[in-house]
Amino acid sequence: MLATTLYEDGDHRWIMFGRDPHKTEGIIDTNQYLVQSGNQAILLDPGGIELFAPMLSAVLKFVRADQITHLFASHQDPDIISSLGLWDQALPNARLYSPWLWEGFIRHFGMEKIEYCAIPDEGMSISLGRIQLQFIPAHYLHSSGNFHVYDPKANILMSGDVGAALEDTDAPLWVDNMSTHIPKMKKFHQRWMPSNEAKIDWIRRVRQLDIDIMAPQHGRLFRPPFIGEFLNWFEDLPVGIAIR
Amino acid sequence: MATPIFVTAASIAAELHQAMLEAKGLALTAKNARALAVRAGSKTVGFKAITHFIDELASDIIRQSQYINEVSEGLSQQAVSLWRASMAAEKFDWIAQQHEHNLASLQSAMQQSRQQKEQLSQTLSRGLRELEQQLEEGDKHIRTANLIATSSKVEAASAGDFRNQLEVIAHNITDTADKIRAHLSRARNLLSQRQSFA
Repeated sequence: MLATTLYEDGDHRWIMFGRDPHKTEGIIDTNQYLVQSGNQAILLDPGGIELFAPMLSAVLKFVRADQITHLFASHQDPDIISSLGLWDQALPNARLYSPWLWEGFIRHFGMEKIEYCAIPDEGMSISLGRIQLQFIPAHYLHSSGNFHVYDPKANILMSGDVGAALEDTDAPLWVDNMSTHIPKMKKFHQRWMPSNEAKIDWIRRVRQLDIDIMAPQHGRLFRPPFIGEFLNWFEDLPVGIAIR
Repeated sequence: MATPIFVTAASIAAELHQAMLEAKGLALTAKNARALAVRAGSKTVGFKAITHFIDELASDIIRQSQYINEVSEGLSQQAVSLWRASMAAEKFDWIAQQHEHNLASLQSAMQQSRQQKEQLSQTLSRGLRELEQQLEEGDKHIRTANLIATSSKVEAASAGDFRNQLEVIAHNITDTADKIRAHLSRARNLLSQRQSFA
């Protein structure tokens, strides 16, 4: 599994895992993120059960197992957190932060030891080592209970399915041309995102954040000026099209 | 592909559930037989005595089937836990073959999953042995049912006008005993074909 350091400042770093060349055929490619500060680390959307072994193997190259003190699941989908039953065996003392709405559902993936920390609808902040991470509400984008993660020190927004694109595993890591990238995102956003109102509300709030990297859960990552271009494009895009 | 033990245990539970339903039918047969014996009066005194045995037998089979059903369902749950612990242990072993970075930090989890696997294997072995014993007990009930059916036929033969009706009841007992035997037999086959789970 490919591991790329997105940000590093002393013991504060963001690492992206993905583009696994050994991934089982037929399952969607996903980006997983590790945020570390000091002796604590959080795994953001740690992935599906198929990815558990290569993911844990890759993560151990950066941190010890006991340093992974937190997990975050932006929503309930299997590609996000169906590996939970195995993380539960590997990290018995960890805490899982996830929308309150999905607790009873996510527990179906198997969770006996890890503690479920329900994120309220309005979001919340947590301390991780010496930094603060913010769970930003992203409800209906696409899940009815959904959060993104913002690191105000690294200026990175993990944007879940927003900004996602379906591409080959050997696709470049960064968006370098919006006009060629838009076709890879358009149908995904139109079909998966159900609410124009939720989309506009999210864009309004995200425009107030200082963002150097926007990191979705699928496909390439965005840096300025493509972050602004993405927000403008997304603002004009009609979503929830399946019923039309 | 070999059938996982949790599927086998759940299938055994399903067989025993069916056996229990048949036994409830047998209890109903006992009630009908008793009512008929009362109406027939002195000619069916022998049959009337047998109806108590049928009733008792039905209760025993129902009780035992319920117990085996519970044991099987519990085993199925334990087998799922064992499967999860085994899967985690396998994944940890795979990671250990890849590299040694920070592997020591995973030792505690690896050891716990191995211990859990071991404990669950032992619990499961004990449970499966108990299941075997319970199924053998079930066979004894079937032998008793056959004896009762034979006695019922003999008693029916001397019941005069009620002979035909009592023969139908005797036939029902044999039929139900055969069905319960078939369920128990399938359950034992499933148990004997189980794959190694250790």
